[in-house]
Amino acid sequence: MLTDELSILLLYGMIVAVVLGLKTTGMMAQFDMGYLLSARDEPRELPKMIARLDRALWNSVTALALVTPPILAITLHDQSSSGSLVAAQVFVLCRLAYFPAYLFGITGLRTALWLAGFLATFALYFLAL
Amino acid sequence: MTPELTALALAGILQAAQFAALSVLANLEVGTKKTASPRDRQKLGGSLEDLLSVRTARLNRALSNHFEALILFTLAVTVVTLSGQASGFTAACGWIYLGARLLYVPAYYFGLSPWRSLIWFVGFLATLAMIVTALL
Repeated sequence: MLTDELSILLLYGMIVAVVLGLKTTGMMAQFDMGYLLSARDEPRELPKMIARLDRALWNSVTALALVTPPILAITLHDQSSSGSLVAAQVFVLCRLAYFPAYLFGITGLRTALWLAGFLATFALYFLAL
Repeated sequence: MTPELTALALAGILQAAQFAALSVLANLEVGTKKTASPRDRQKLGGSLEDLLSVRTARLNRALSNHFEALILFTLAVTVVTLSGQASGFTAACGWIYLGARLLYVPAYYFGLSPWRSLIWFVGFLATLAMIVTALL
């Protein structure tokens, strides 16, 4: 059965995939296809906005790697509760808002969103254990 | 063990193999003295990646890229499996992903253009298709 927490995990995976698609599209607009299709042996500096998207994406990969285990554990052990659902919802909302916060350089908010997402992940571990 | 989980386990082995190949080549090229050090930029005169040969540096980038792809694929496979939505279609997506990521390594290593990008895109689409199927 697709639990609410699993749906949220899937939703977040899709969001990350879409942002990855955005970054790829942005790079296609900024660099010539010859360079993009090559093995990119000489690194080129990314334009400011794409570099921010790149850093936000790497941060999201870390967040995704950390949040997947507790959600799977909660689902496998039927430990889903209103608490775990709220934690998962807080996680996905913060991580979603993290992208524009990073992209538009909103100092403070970006860090606060990261921290809230991180704490929500910790809450999920706590609930799973 | 569903076919999707088998593909995921094999993708994990592929990741380990990519890591082993990079590790052996990097140690041969740069020397264990540098690789075993804390790799401080000041001491190495830059990042360790910059000391690698062109082709070994490509293996390094291919490995980083697989980390990113694998986290999304892991999510897709486990959710499809746990929610009981595994089907012939999701199994096919799993095998396509594995095949694409396998071909991606030589395509990067030999600088095959535009094949590397196309192969990457196939693996990405296969993962995305699994996620979208599970959500619908």
